Amino acid sequence: MPPLKDEVARLPPAALAEAERMARQDGKLSAALAHPLERRRILTLLASGAIAGPLGRCDPGAADRHLYSAAEAPEGIVPGRTERFATAHLLEGHARGIVVTHRMGRPLKVEGNPGHPASLGGTDPFAQAALFDLYDPDRASGPLQGGEPVAPARVATMFAALRADLAASRGRGFRILTEPLTSPSLGRMLDTVLARWPEARWHQHAPLPRSAAFAGAMAAYGKPLSVLPNPAAADVILGLDSDLLDAWPWQLPAARGFASRRNPVRAPMSRVYAIEPTPSLLGLQADHRFAVGSVELHRIAGLLAAGLLQGAVPADGPPWLVPLLSDLKDHHGRALVHVGPHQPAALHALCHAMNAALGAPGNTLTLCAPALHHPVDPGTDLRDLVEDMAAGKVETLLVLGGNPCFIAPDFLAALGRVRRAIAACDAPNETALACGWYVPLAHAMEAWSDARALDGTAGICQPQLRPLYAGQNPLSVLGQCLEAVPDSRAWLRATWRDRLPDDRAWQAALAAGVIAGTTFPTLAATLRPAAASTGMAGTGMAGTGTAGASPGLDVSFRADARLGDGQYANNPWLQELPDPLTKTAWDNPLRLPPRLAGRLHARDGDLVTLGIGDRRVTLPCWIVPGQAEGCVVATLGQGRRTGSTARGVGTDLYPLRLARGAVDIRRVGGRREVACTMGQAEMTAEAGDILRRIDLSDFQAGARPDHVGGDGSLYHRAPPGPAAWAMSIDLNACIGCNACVTACQVENNIPVVGREEVLRGRVMHWIRIDRYETGSFSAFQPVLCMQCEQAPCETVCPVGATVHDAEGLNGMVYNRCVGTRFCSNNCPYKVRRFNYFAFAAEERRPPASRNPDVTVRGRGVMEKCSFCLQRIAAARVAHDRDGVPEHAETACQAACPTRAISFGDLNDAQAEVRARKRSPLDYALLPEQNTRPRVTYEARVSNRNPAAGT
Amino acid sequence: MSALLAPGVTAGSLTDHVSALALRRHAPRWWWMAFIPSLCLLGLGVLAVGWLFLAGVGIWGIDWPVAWGFAIINYVWWIGIASGGTFISAFFFLMRVDWRTALNRTAESMMLCAAASAAVFPILHLGRPWLFYWLFPYPATMRLWPQFRSPLLWDFFAILTYVVSSLLFWYLGLIPDLASVRDRARRRWQQVFYGCLALGFRGSVREWRHYRASYGVLAAIMAPLVVSVHSIVGLDFAGGQTPGWHSTQFPPFFVFGAALSGLAMVVLIVVPLRALMDLRRYITPYHLDVLGKLLLTSALLVGYAYLMDAFSTFYGAESADMTMFMDRVAGVYAPVYYSTLVLNVLAPLVLAARRLRRQPAVLSLVAAGTIVGMWLERYEIVVTSLHKTHLPSSWGGFTATFWDWATLAGSVGLFMTLLLLILRFLPVISVSEMRGLLERRR
Repeated sequence: MPPLKDEVARLPPAALAEAERMARQDGKLSAALAHPLERRRILTLLASGAIAGPLGRCDPGAADRHLYSAAEAPEGIVPGRTERFATAHLLEGHARGIVVTHRMGRPLKVEGNPGHPASLGGTDPFAQAALFDLYDPDRASGPLQGGEPVAPARVATMFAALRADLAASRGRGFRILTEPLTSPSLGRMLDTVLARWPEARWHQHAPLPRSAAFAGAMAAYGKPLSVLPNPAAADVILGLDSDLLDAWPWQLPAARGFASRRNPVRAPMSRVYAIEPTPSLLGLQADHRFAVGSVELHRIAGLLAAGLLQGAVPADGPPWLVPLLSDLKDHHGRALVHVGPHQPAALHALCHAMNAALGAPGNTLTLCAPALHHPVDPGTDLRDLVEDMAAGKVETLLVLGGNPCFIAPDFLAALGRVRRAIAACDAPNETALACGWYVPLAHAMEAWSDARALDGTAGICQPQLRPLYAGQNPLSVLGQCLEAVPDSRAWLRATWRDRLPDDRAWQAALAAGVIAGTTFPTLAATLRPAAASTGMAGTGMAGTGTAGASPGLDVSFRADARLGDGQYANNPWLQELPDPLTKTAWDNPLRLPPRLAGRLHARDGDLVTLGIGDRRVTLPCWIVPGQAEGCVVATLGQGRRTGSTARGVGTDLYPLRLARGAVDIRRVGGRREVACTMGQAEMTAEAGDILRRIDLSDFQAGARPDHVGGDGSLYHRAPPGPAAWAMSIDLNACIGCNACVTACQVENNIPVVGREEVLRGRVMHWIRIDRYETGSFSAFQPVLCMQCEQAPCETVCPVGATVHDAEGLNGMVYNRCVGTRFCSNNCPYKVRRFNYFAFAAEERRPPASRNPDVTVRGRGVMEKCSFCLQRIAAARVAHDRDGVPEHAETACQAACPTRAISFGDLNDAQAEVRARKRSPLDYALLPEQNTRPRVTYEARVSNRNPAAGT
Repeated sequence: MSALLAPGVTAGSLTDHVSALALRRHAPRWWWMAFIPSLCLLGLGVLAVGWLFLAGVGIWGIDWPVAWGFAIINYVWWIGIASGGTFISAFFFLMRVDWRTALNRTAESMMLCAAASAAVFPILHLGRPWLFYWLFPYPATMRLWPQFRSPLLWDFFAILTYVVSSLLFWYLGLIPDLASVRDRARRRWQQVFYGCLALGFRGSVREWRHYRASYGVLAAIMAPLVVSVHSIVGLDFAGGQTPGWHSTQFPPFFVFGAALSGLAMVVLIVVPLRALMDLRRYITPYHLDVLGKLLLTSALLVGYAYLMDAFSTFYGAESADMTMFMDRVAGVYAPVYYSTLVLNVLAPLVLAARRLRRQPAVLSLVAAGTIVGMWLERYEIVVTSLHKTHLPSSWGGFTATFWDWATLAGSVGLFMTLLLLILRFLPVISVSEMRGLLERRR
């Protein structure tokens, strides 16, 4: 067919402009434009665009490609009703079960799956915020070739060419790069592909590989294995730079078990020691926290091991070492030692040996086979690939998930030698743009998959909706390397044919989110006799990390607590989440110990240059008391080069991680203000009656946190309603993980305000986690609207926009608010948030992703925690309709992995909150204000070892 | 008595002089030199308010926890300044004080302009200013009423009453003078303009009797009103539970502060006018002396309030209050506190010397200082109290933005523009009352 130049030329200019505009938007059109023979299709597309344009993007329709009118509603979708579907959220490839709540077919909220062993009903901020990634308009890009949009058919052509090449070479020069994965089906697919093309190779990479843990297990037991700590059974816990409560695949059950033993009212209290270079979440909860640098940490670990394994009395250790040692020894079978991933393999081996000596396996921890498909050390595996790439041995590279170009600059450099690089990622990220081909992947909530938890429990991950942006399932991407591309769901069914033979079993597994009987058995591994000696020898060596060459200054690279390795950097909910430790948001300042900062004359936000070898990076600094001298913490994950939210935020420190050589830090002139919701001066202010604490010995002797008896009022003005909603927060259980903050943000349509506005103190979170620190004591305190019975905000509002209801709720009537802000001034707890700008309207997410039960607040309106009024209303409706008990759970409570938050009806004799309010530790915040808050706290108890000093 | 008027002033010469000032064909050079910058400031203010309505109150420096900022500071400042006119014209009228007559027109005009500048801020302050009328108890279809326990509502009523009464009081006082000007007007538009404004006042005995009765009644209403409006402005703060606000002494404290800034503004306007409009004959050193004494008295009252503020904080011994007070005297905003002390209490002490307070330059300087000082005092009350409250986690700061300053400048522009227009076109001295004074002197 000859090119139809004339027809195009005769189009009026407006139509040509429209064609150009659509070409920018529509991959299909630009693909057609790129192809001279397809010019006739331009006119077809233009015509269809003219019709479809006003209608917006049409739904692809039902499976039979028919569009139904709304009069014939899709089956099973009832307006106003919520549906819940189980699936899993992955962290480092491991599943944590979640349940996704739908309204009108739209997934809108994530909750933990109580039946999943790695969730137990709790979640973390990542799982809560995953919905933003699902709806992220940044994903709305079709396939790209060399950064330009191409028709999906071209991808199929490319895969066909790939298959032809593979058939010719039996897979030589074909490499697949994935992150560590636990999915049995994906693993089976990989194995099938590798079996079909035997010369192909599969590599794994992880941004922050747990290489040391892997090697430590190899040294101790001779095989890779997983450690499942069970802090609920431990009387004494020792964390060595531990990440027990930080983000890792077993965080949620570990935190639940940990918290179950931290409130002496409910269970005998455990005692926690933490020895670490920089505060971890476990360290901040510890009864004794010792800040020591890496070198000293290894020495102390060696002394401890000598004491535990050989009975040696440490001679030249710090004064607290002997009491700590005897505390551990006294609790044989009830003690747990946990070491974090940043410590070397030798320390991990030593830890295995110490735990074995303490009788921990089978009691306070469980060993099981790793859930990963073919576990290897991902660090070395990627290095092998990069070497092969640089040597020109890689013809075709298929990157399946992850973002190796961002996390491994050397990978990016070697990519140029690869003839055909295909990146299948969930967003057009650095890797997608660097590779020749980008194939959009479906979000985990859009695809059929399966995954195992750390303990091996498998579950089916079911798609929650049709792919919003036409992404592909990883299974089908990989499947295109085979002649016959299998259907993902059928492939999954085939994987689980033995366990789930029929539809009933399959449906039951989907509904439960777990496949019964897939949990790995406890591994009866025997410690290699050499484990202890290898460990001892190893820890005697000098420091770890990249900066080992420079004594006295140790740079530790750690994942950002909010952004993981950077994969969540484009998620504004997580960007704006204050870091648990520093309460900074939207940035990743270099964390300096106070004395080093003093030597540099640096204050928070001053620019410093961190140099390792010949590489230098300039970024602001942040002073962290409680960080060991000589320890500098660089957080990874910021400084992304793609993504509308992530681009330009923070500093990329991955390039430094690979550098070797002398470390030096210098202050350069200038500052970059770091957005922070609670500065150091506030954290260290006298928290006195605000965050009450008591020593366990005093508590057992009958002492109580000061309780202001009665309410000092002659009037009894308790709201008369049938229910009395109230909350109790256990400060012993709050680990500061931020799950509640994100859950609240998602549930209540709370807008993100951005770095500038956070700097101006206009963050909108309805629940905030205050952190107080005095000396070695540190604690978190979640603060939300106290729902005061005598609320100061209500009396000062001139238009009655904030009023009390009969059930004790302090309601906020957004429609009535004129924005005088007097309520905020008069709130002693400062829990009210004001829409200084039209924050919600400026949000970068489709309105369809918002909770339809919660009003979206406009400019000039005050807002605050409502105790999840919409959930209470739903419970009331259910009660009135079905006669079920009126049981409501707030979003923060539901998300909390440690059950620190208890909410319910005080008039319900069975309510847990009622029992908690009678706890001898119960106290109200600012009782002298006589606000009679419905939220009270359980005071923090410290179980200190008198012999270990302060 | 002779010190009240220069010798040789007669009823006729006075009327001619004052009427001629209003009727002159061209405004003097100084007037234009003041008016054009005032208009520019007003234009800046209009721009700032336009942008405010478009973008929202977020353009200001207010934040969390300092949710109130310049709008409230400026409002309290202007309404305090407005009080000066009421004190002089209503209070001293009721007390039959002779020296008042030469000053009251200027003071009342100033009051009106300041009240106008003040009145815009409560509306600008709102997050949704277009809904300000919800504060008014009107029969809405939703049958919603305002919330009567809120001090802000009392304030809404208080300022509404005050502005309306001020306008009536000022206008009623003007009527006989407008009639005089009308009678002397030669040009047609002036005759119509002043004729309409004079409402047909012809000076009959009956008219005078009605006039005097109404003026007396209005003065009797205005005198308590000025006390109540400032007490209620004080309650805007004292009604809150915030440390630094929750104090029973706030209502009188705000009345004292209002008197200080109001009298200072009278001084600041009267002193240059004497020279520029050749009013030395009517506004003599005696008047300056009286104003100086009043300024000194109100400064001492304000000083007493500052002292009591400190005393009651420590007497009450509530930790949040003490933290707030220590922060006020030693924190980041401490310079504001000390400037307040110096400008509002210490500097006016020089007026104790008779020789100094009779010097227009000294008096003006002190008055200008207290105007600034009183603005800083309101800054201290609003910002310093809010930035450090009960929970350390909600401590924060406040930084004013360009738009904050532009709005403040705009309100100054509004005040100056209105005042200059009044000075240009209306009698600057109450001729009718001055004639009474002359008759009594005879």
